[in-house]
Amino acid sequence: MPSYELSLMLRVLSKPELVSSLKRSAETIVQQGGVLRQFISIGTKPLPFKIRAHTQWHREGTYFLMKFDAPSSAVENLNDEFKRDIDLIRTHVVKCEEPVKQECTLEEELKSPAYRKDVQQLVEESRKTVRKQFKQNSPGFDYYPFQK
Amino acid sequence: MTYDTVADEYAREIQPENKIINKMALMQKILPCFHISSLYRTSMFPLLTVRHFTNFNASLQQEDDQPAQNLSNPYQKEKRCCILCKYDVNVDYKNARLLSQFLSPFTGKVYERNITGLCKSKQKIVESEIIKAQNAGYLAIMLKKVEYFKDPKLCDPDRPVRPHRY
Repeated sequence: MPSYELSLMLRVLSKPELVSSLKRSAETIVQQGGVLRQFISIGTKPLPFKIRAHTQWHREGTYFLMKFDAPSSAVENLNDEFKRDIDLIRTHVVKCEEPVKQECTLEEELKSPAYRKDVQQLVEESRKTVRKQFKQNSPGFDYYPFQK
Repeated sequence: MTYDTVADEYAREIQPENKIINKMALMQKILPCFHISSLYRTSMFPLLTVRHFTNFNASLQQEDDQPAQNLSNPYQKEKRCCILCKYDVNVDYKNARLLSQFLSPFTGKVYERNITGLCKSKQKIVESEIIKAQNAGYLAIMLKKVEYFKDPKLCDPDRPVRPHRY
């Protein structure tokens, strides 16, 4: 089961209501066959822009982060469930992947075009003259065109 | 063949490592019956046949004289690295402040690669994370927060890494 990260944005609620809504969203994950791993609170912050959710405009929200493992088929269902929840303003499910370690190619990119590998490849490609081959249109039809 | 060469070869035979040899002292040892002054009259003395070791010694000298190979270029410049690769920074969509450092304070738009000075892969990651942050509601879309204006400048549009038309 791949690991996912869910960033929840809940509307401003009293503490018991907040707890119940969080419990609800956690239960949906478990229902879909997921395993909760971490529960992190980012806090109540003003939103970067006003967001409309379920006939209401919100300018403040409570941010929460949930890390869980779930089957890949469950994500679609989760998003569907979260759409219907009134307390959730925005949800974003991201797959947790370890970043691929790559060497910095800045030195190569800062060279002048004549010395850059990708430019040299383009030049080589342009030098290759592709001759157009005549396409024979036989068989042209799926059926036998002449009446027997 | 002069007696000098004889003495040299004898010296090498006895003391191959010791290069500073008193030739005269050795000559006295080899030919004790003759006076030193008489040594300079080479025509008087018979030639001695001694095996030549010159080729062997010459080859040794040649090996010392050859230039050393496989040396690195001492004038080679250090490889430039983009700031995110250099410090191994983990770019995350939740880290709106870090992402804001790559936005223009005037237009709120993402700076291009020539201004940010990032390598291709990192630039792509930053751009995708900015979009994620905007979708998830962590980062504003068309502006840069006023609280982030005084952050350390990573991008200076007036001094791009590569020249641009603007």
